[in-house]
Formats: sequence, C-alpha cells, structure tokens
Amino acid sequence: MPEERAHRIFEVAGGDFGGKLMVTRSTGRAVREALEETLAALPKGGTLYVDTRGVELMDYSFADEALGILASRAASGEYGDRHLVLVEEDRDLLENVEASLRQRSLAMIRVDEVGGEPAIVGEVADHLVATLQTIYDAGSITNAALAAKLGLNHTACNNRATRLAKLGLIHRRIETAAPGGRQYTYERVV
Amino acid sequence: MSGVLTMGSLDPAFADAGNVDGEPVVLDLRAVEFVEPAGLCGLAALLEFLIPRCEEVGIALAGRDVPAYLERMNFFRLFGNRVRTNADVASLEERRRHNPGTLQELINFHTEEEIPGIIERISEILENQGYRLRERVAICSVLSEICANAAEHGASSFGAYAAVQAYHHIVSGPRRRGEEVLIAIADGGPGVRETLARNPALAEHTTTDNDALRHALEMGVSGTGEIGRGGGLALVAGIAARSGGSLSLRSGTGRVTVYENRKNSRNVPEFPGTFVRVSLPRTPQEKTPQ
Repeated sequence: MPEERAHRIFEVAGGDFGGKLMVTRSTGRAVREALEETLAALPKGGTLYVDTRGVELMDYSFADEALGILASRAASGEYGDRHLVLVEEDRDLLENVEASLRQRSLAMIRVDEVGGEPAIVGEVADHLVATLQTIYDAGSITNAALAAKLGLNHTACNNRATRLAKLGLIHRRIETAAPGGRQYTYERVV
Repeated sequence: MSGVLTMGSLDPAFADAGNVDGEPVVLDLRAVEFVEPAGLCGLAALLEFLIPRCEEVGIALAGRDVPAYLERMNFFRLFGNRVRTNADVASLEERRRHNPGTLQELINFHTEEEIPGIIERISEILENQGYRLRERVAICSVLSEICANAAEHGASSFGAYAAVQAYHHIVSGPRRRGEEVLIAIADGGPGVRETLARNPALAEHTTTDNDALRHALEMGVSGTGEIGRGGGLALVAGIAARSGGSLSLRSGTGRVTVYENRKNSRNVPEFPGTFVRVSLPRTPQEKTPQ
C-alpha cells in the first residue's frame, strides 16, 4: 500500500477571501497565493487538500485563476513533489473547475471528503485513463507489474506513468535496490 | 419609440448620436411605459456618450410610473445634475424615503474589486425573492463574468453600468406566464473587435464587429491569447441557452444573440463600447409546448 504522507487541508470558504461567493480573477489570485504558501510549507511528497465544499459560487474566472493556474504550475513542477487534491462533491460548482482544467489540458484528483474514493476532474488523455485506473486499483505498483497488466513494453509504460506523475495525479518513487538497477514504483495520491 | 425601453428601442438615438456636434439634445422618452435593464443600461451609456459632446442633454418623460421607476433605480442620483428633465425628481425622492425598496438599483462600477460586493447584494436580493441556490449560482456567475469583462476590457471614463431585475412574468418577447431574470451591462470601452484585435492570432476573425462578437463567444478566445483566458463569455452563453433564455452581445455595429439552438447576427447602429444582455427564464415548467 502507499506510504503515509503528510497532508494539510485548506478550506477555501474559511479564509478572508469572500466567504461563500467566489468571483473574479483578483479573488482567485488571492486564494491561489494562500494555497501556494500552504503548499510550499508541506514536506516533500505531501498532499494539499483544497476543500471548496463551503463555497456556494465559483465563477469561471475565479476557478481558472485559483485552481487552473495552480494545477498548471503544479504540472510544470513548480511545487516539487507535492500534490493537490480537490475536496468537493459532484455538483454544479465543478463545471467551472472542469472547464478551466480542460482549457489547460490538465486534471486534478477529486474526493467527496478526505479519505473518500478518488475521481478525476478535468481532462486526462484517453490512453492514460487505463494506466491511471490500474495504478489506483493497485494502490502501489512497480513499472514492470504495471507494464505486464497493461500489455505495454516497459518504456511505453514508464512514459505514460511519468506523464501522470507530472500531472500530479500519482506519486512516483525510484527504488534502486531492485535487481537490474533502478525500478519505478507508482502510487495513488489518495 | 415603443412602450418598452430596450436596447433596440434606443437604436435611432444611437444612430443620431454620432452626428451631434455641441448643440443641446433632448431624448424624447415620453412613449416609454416600461423600462427593462437593457434599456436602463443602454440609456446610461447613451447619456455618457452625449453629455461630453453636447451643450445640454435633456430627457423628456411622461406619466408618473417611469420617472418613479427611474428614481428607484437611482437613475437621477447618477445623472440628475448632468441631464435636464421635466420629471419632478424632488417629490419622487421624497416619496422614496418612506418606501425603501428591495430592488437592485442601477450599478455604476469601475474595477474588478467592486464585483464581489455587487454579487453578494444581488445574491441576497434573489434569496429574498425565493430563488434557490442553484438558480442564484447561475444568475450570479453570469453577472460576475460579464462585470469582470467590463472592468477588464471596458476601461472608460464612466466605467460600466449594470442592472438586474427579476420579473414575475416573462418579459422577453410576448408577455406570458413564468418568471425571468434580466441582466444587462454596458461599458464605454474600446469594444470587442479592438480588444480581440490585440491578439494577432485572431486577425482573420476581427474584420467586422459581428465576426469578432461571434468569435468572442467561442471557448478560449481572448485578446491576450493566454491559455485559460476567454472562457467566461462562452460559459455564460451556455448557461443562458440551457435555461431557455438568451445572451445578446453588442459592440460597435455588431450584435449577436445566442439561443439554445441558434445564433443570430445583425448590423446595428454603432454602440460606443460593449453591451451584454442576458435573459434567464425560470424553468422547468417553461418547457411546455406553446
């Protein structure tokens, strides 16, 4: 099973940003900066739960500025090996988050509550969906085992999982003790 | 001019506005019996255009209802000392003091920072009128996106005007049973075509105002071309169309209206800025065949 990792929960509606109605890019920027600060304070490998359940309204501009840009920076490696998870139920509010992430060809892991079953919000390329699903079903899996399950060669499998790790949707660990040198292990984020 | 003050009913006045050259002007609104938010915002934008270009601007009103409505909408407080009117504004103000309204007044705003406060107020009014959370969310996210566009792209001396009104019948088209929320916003900025033309990648879509408007309604189209930008208007048009309503976008000499399954474009007299009108009928009982 995946290792226990540090995590923190950030309640978006709990701060001084605008209560339950989250609108405009400038509000989104303020929330993103607070999220980035919390993220930077997490140990490596840690997960930040962004809890938007108390928010009643999030317009597209806010969603793109707060979450779209955050996910984009996470995917470009700006926050190191730290992960974002959205805590939100499946409701209308997600539409604008979804639209922003799709515009950016990005995705985030979403759970209904901390500890809940993970789902995806945003866009994951078709060929990566099965890879992602297999890693989440296994909890933790080596590249060799994953390649065998998916019927891929090791390089193709590694490329797919690396892409998912870059998107922040999985953890990737290198184990050097394995016979034959380096071996990657992939783990679910939540 | 017909009995309803809409944006379209102001077309002849906008057509003439380009020709004024310092002389005094009077807008004859005596035939107006009913003012919708689009008419109110359109009138505000028209006056802002005329005032610096005319020695004096007057508006002629008839009856009591329209002057009283304009007073409740804060119209005379925004324009009272800049336009001349035959209406007895002082007595209307006196009456209102004893009758505090629950309506949203005509809003004049300049910056993005003012928008959260505007949204909060409208949300509260809608809640008091019995609008459910889902409905309030749809209405408020429409309003906030359009306001944000006006604040960001519409920088002008007067900022932007917004008006919102919830009706207990359908006012767009023939009057019928149902409920409808109308939202209108007008700014005096450079307009959609000029804003999009800043993005060289859009050159072939900005040859006419209508081209630019149609393109502005596509997902991801913006003047900066930055990824993630230009989603607001497309989503807003989607919300309006899904509710069985419409979104009209007007700028320069173009006007595009988006309905659930069609899009109309037409050439109109020059509008000096950008204007948006959104109609959100209250469904689902509206879906019955007519």
